[in-house]
Amino acid sequence: MSLKRLFMLFAAAAVLSLGVAACGGDDDDSADSAQTTTDTSAESPAKGGDVTIVASVPPTDHGWLGAISKDAKAAAEKHDDVDFRLLEAADADSQAQQIEQVISEKPDALVVLPQDGAALTPVAQKAERAGIPVINVDRLFTAPDAATATILGDNYQIGVLAAEYISDQLKCKGNVVEIQGLAGISVTEERTKGFKDQLKKSCPDGGIDIVASQPGDFNPDTGLKVMENILQAQDKIDAVYTHDDDMAQGVVQAIRNAGRDDEMFLTGVGGSQDAMDQIREGGLYRATFLYNPNMAASAVNMARLIALGQGFSELVPPEVPRQLVVPAATVTKQNVDKYEQYAFN
Amino acid sequence: MTTAPEAAAVADEAPGTERRLAGVRLQDYALLIVVILLFITGAILKPDSFPTADNIRNMLTQASVVGVLAIGMTFVIATAGIDLSVGSMVAAAGMAGGVLVDPDGGTLIFILGALGFATLMGTVNATAIAYGRVVPFIATLAMFSIGRGVALLLNDKLPVSLLDLNGGSFGDPRPFSLLWFGTGKIVGIPISVYVFLGITVLGWVLLNRTAYGRHVVAVGGNRQAARIAGVPVRRTIFSVYVLSGLLAGVAAVLLCARLASASPVSGNLYELDAIGAVVIGGTSLMGGRATIVGTFLGVLTFALIFSLMTQLDLSTEVQQVTKGGIVLGAVLLQRPEARL
Repeated sequence: MSLKRLFMLFAAAAVLSLGVAACGGDDDDSADSAQTTTDTSAESPAKGGDVTIVASVPPTDHGWLGAISKDAKAAAEKHDDVDFRLLEAADADSQAQQIEQVISEKPDALVVLPQDGAALTPVAQKAERAGIPVINVDRLFTAPDAATATILGDNYQIGVLAAEYISDQLKCKGNVVEIQGLAGISVTEERTKGFKDQLKKSCPDGGIDIVASQPGDFNPDTGLKVMENILQAQDKIDAVYTHDDDMAQGVVQAIRNAGRDDEMFLTGVGGSQDAMDQIREGGLYRATFLYNPNMAASAVNMARLIALGQGFSELVPPEVPRQLVVPAATVTKQNVDKYEQYAFN
Repeated sequence: MTTAPEAAAVADEAPGTERRLAGVRLQDYALLIVVILLFITGAILKPDSFPTADNIRNMLTQASVVGVLAIGMTFVIATAGIDLSVGSMVAAAGMAGGVLVDPDGGTLIFILGALGFATLMGTVNATAIAYGRVVPFIATLAMFSIGRGVALLLNDKLPVSLLDLNGGSFGDPRPFSLLWFGTGKIVGIPISVYVFLGITVLGWVLLNRTAYGRHVVAVGGNRQAARIAGVPVRRTIFSVYVLSGLLAGVAAVLLCARLASASPVSGNLYELDAIGAVVIGGTSLMGGRATIVGTFLGVLTFALIFSLMTQLDLSTEVQQVTKGGIVLGAVLLQRPEARL
């Protein structure tokens, strides 16, 4: 009997850990958040001078998203007057619930990288109406009154730069494979559209064929499987445009396993340390297009300025702009030293 | 392999009197027909690249990861259980092995680490279900979450490179290096395919030719009756989740060997592929009826669909609709009423 009860305890522990995991976040996060929660409920928003900023992001189980949360935290730590808390949500639905919760705590500003911009627009509008300025990062909300300020990378430009690089390398002649990100989100669609549009401009007479275009879900093992099949179907590939550095590692492995690394080259997106190392070495991995996660640091700084009623001193009058687009950049062997300081793990 | 011995094994349970008399019953051969039709379709649409030895090797290699999981899942589902945690266990086992060998360590340590850790997670599932009496769906849902979390925790969300375990070489890996398990070949057949086929045969023997196999099916068919008949019910239930964990470890080794790294986000939704393969193979989700040959054909079905649709470069939305349609059609063909 008592044994049975012991196991019930284990089961309860398992369910508890399930709950913790569902809230997302590693140890330091939850410790941080627990602390700040008590802080906020006790003293904000009346506490003079100090601002409370809450950031909500998708699960950071991916290199780029991991860098987003690290950069945001690092930026917040630089300011003594910022109380910062970072929340991770498993999916769009739980992210919306999380933000609902946060609205009732009345932070001074909210930084949101939505899992799905459209799905989270209503809750962002609700925060705005409650008087909490929302700073939208990377994936766009679908209504103009859902955010006070927006900072985003230029996904279309990423596609344009990739097309320019590849058409230049191939001199407008050859077969290209595109391994996309997650199907059905704006990031993927823009990176594809920019690429196709620019290929037409760079090579007006044609010459480059996109022989396969398949999603790899930003995931290395999906990238591996998809590329294995494409390698079977295509006996001549000159270049591979992948939408993500993490995923590209699986694609690279498929090409190497097939012993075809001399036949083609590959490009990534993001700017991970791993990608930059391989670009420096030379060989298969020829370039990546910077999509810098430190836009999250900028977002936190913008949130602080808005909360303090200040702005960019270079602007007249000093304000925080409504929208900032971070420029993309091409990283190759020639300039990798310059960009390596921005690489993420 | 044919479905005939399988049918004989199932005949003990099912009312099988008309089985031999009714001529060709679609139910028994439906999936084999689906597999053959898919292959023929591929051969017609992509004659140069689909029906080649190289592509068959490729499809079998890809099938081996989910295939190994599906064999374990067959035993679990035969007891009327479910294991939702296999994908997470694949990721956690790979990461556990990866952390053990990082920065230096051998292939053997990686393999033992991955198998050991996966078996441990399977044992936690088994204990909670067989002795803690937690419903399998909930216990393994908890492990689905815990396993993924552990995979992310083990190396601070970062993948571990296992390139050095291969001596850094590609193309023709040294025997017993890690990459060899992923892409190495003996008489033209990849090692991972031998592993998959070996485990399939062992699973078939275990299920159809041993007392243990009869216990598994009996527990799933009618637990009360099995207990009265002297079947060690708890021990049997316990064992299938441990087995599923162990096989998740094997799948992790096969996957990491091909990726030359362990990634904390790998194995995402593999449980659905494994369960799907088992169920379209004809194993009953209600328990009491299980077929390894069916599972094998189910795994092949998914591998063929995936390969064919990528080769045809269909768009995602078309792929999703097509895949769903084929799965639904395959299951409808297997209804007892369906006949030629």
